[in-house]
Amino acid sequence: MFALVDVNNMYVSCERVFRPSLAGRPVVVLSNNDGCAIARSNEAKDLGIKMAQPWFQIRHLERKAGLIALSANFELYGDMSSRMMTVVAQYAPRQEVYSIDESFLHFEGVRGDLVAIGREIRATVLQWTGLPTSVGFGSTKTLAKLANHVAKTADRKPGTYPAQFKQVCNFGAMSERELEQVMQATEVGDVWGVGRKISARLNDVGLRSVLDLVSADVATLRKQFSVVLEKTVLELRGTSCLDVDDAPAANQQIMCSRSFGAPMTELPALVEVVSQFASRVAEKARHQQSVAGAVHVFVATSPFRKHDRQHSPSVTVPLVRPTDDTRLLIGAAVRALEGIYRPGFNYAKAGVMLVDLQPKGQGQAELDLFSDTGEPAVSMPQRDRSQLMGTLDALNRRFGRGAVTVASAARQVNHGGHFAKQERRSPRYTTRIDEIPTAKAGWSTPA
Amino acid sequence: MSSSVRQGDVVRVGRESAADQTPTRASVVIGFGSPADDTGVTRLDLNDILIKHPQATFLMHVAGNAMREVGIDDGDLLLVDRAITPAHGHIVIAVVAGEFVCRRLFRQGDDIRLQATNPDCADIAPRDGQELQVWGVVTNAIKSMPA
Repeated sequence: MFALVDVNNMYVSCERVFRPSLAGRPVVVLSNNDGCAIARSNEAKDLGIKMAQPWFQIRHLERKAGLIALSANFELYGDMSSRMMTVVAQYAPRQEVYSIDESFLHFEGVRGDLVAIGREIRATVLQWTGLPTSVGFGSTKTLAKLANHVAKTADRKPGTYPAQFKQVCNFGAMSERELEQVMQATEVGDVWGVGRKISARLNDVGLRSVLDLVSADVATLRKQFSVVLEKTVLELRGTSCLDVDDAPAANQQIMCSRSFGAPMTELPALVEVVSQFASRVAEKARHQQSVAGAVHVFVATSPFRKHDRQHSPSVTVPLVRPTDDTRLLIGAAVRALEGIYRPGFNYAKAGVMLVDLQPKGQGQAELDLFSDTGEPAVSMPQRDRSQLMGTLDALNRRFGRGAVTVASAARQVNHGGHFAKQERRSPRYTTRIDEIPTAKAGWSTPA
Repeated sequence: MSSSVRQGDVVRVGRESAADQTPTRASVVIGFGSPADDTGVTRLDLNDILIKHPQATFLMHVAGNAMREVGIDDGDLLLVDRAITPAHGHIVIAVVAGEFVCRRLFRQGDDIRLQATNPDCADIAPRDGQELQVWGVVTNAIKSMPA
């Protein structure tokens, strides 16, 4: 069995941990340069605000509906993610971090009531970190992801699914009839990896619900659509066939992480692994024509090595200038690793994630002008970069991944100041000592 | 996010009061194992000594002197552990009117209040139906000396 644990409205939930007064209010988190909504509270969703909706279109809701808009605070989200992931990792022999707020747990051979375990995960993450999660169990990752969708939707919109499935939903514990009803009530577009275009085409050929999709003929689907969709349907029928690498990409972040075969203790070995991961995510970023505004790096010991001291640090490094350059991203990732690494620990897992993604070629000239870091932007010749990176990708495609890599990574200069316009950013409560919260111990009672 | 504490309720941070939740907490222990069992001696590390639950521990500054009698002064650095279930006598961070407030949790039977250690300060008690949210338990206060 797999479980997919994810945080409800991650970025907004992180903000609410430190600003409890935001509870129950419509809140959005805006992308870099305050361009568009990249996270919405349920109340903001109820106002009709769409994912990625530009700020100017919803700005009027500030006055009209009490909407609160915050600039993205990736340092905070990265640290809260790391806390949450480390808590979740305790519950299963294997964890695959899939995005900043989601991980798959592998429950092969684990006995007991999975729903009870799911509730325990949820309750502990909520108590320890303040973050609300949803947990879905299924015999394949696609099913676990779908169960998670059911758990979340049943909680948010009572009546969509039976209330017993809210927050924690285990497809494995459902009767065949219950599962069919759930699949009947779920649209194809809610399936992992089925994008808007494909779901429209599926609707055109009469496949609307997930039940329609699982009942369809796979050979025909493969012919009319793709092998990927065929795999998705097989997964929905309970046959695992997605590898880590062909799993659908998460929105707004690019991630590469692995558990090691044997634990790593020394820095040079970790540097090598992290460089590989950074190189891989840089390539993915270029493939989807994005640049990243920040790099998140984590390493973790294994909670199942009982005699090992545990250390699971992470750090989010904002970049002076958003980039897709392998050299810069490796440089930032390695520097991040060197900052969090402590000798004497048996690290069992590492990951590199690009966050704060933006379409390439957007607004970079302005960013230079308004850079408030006092530092020159990256001292890398801009001229030849894209061409060099394109060549690098082509060589790697032709001769295999890693055929050409960056030998010595240029370190990107950054002193913590972020170039971007972030007027509404909340304090970095957990990563900057001068920005931690204040607890009042005054004589008078706050009114 | 945090549970509401009404008269007679068990005080628990972040727990939801759904009746069907069976705590199975004892099955999981998160934190540091015993240091250096077989890897030799390592230098003492304040993180290991002071922070039992690193994933659940947060830093806060204190503003005000209403907790001076337990040694918490204006400007001190607090370690706040959310993994500890708040109990009578704990120094806690509570959420009052949307703000973080440092007080001692008084809980005797149905009587639940937040107390300052300065006897001249009034207690904060939840009124009927009002929520008293405990955000975390203060485990340490760190003060800087002139040096």
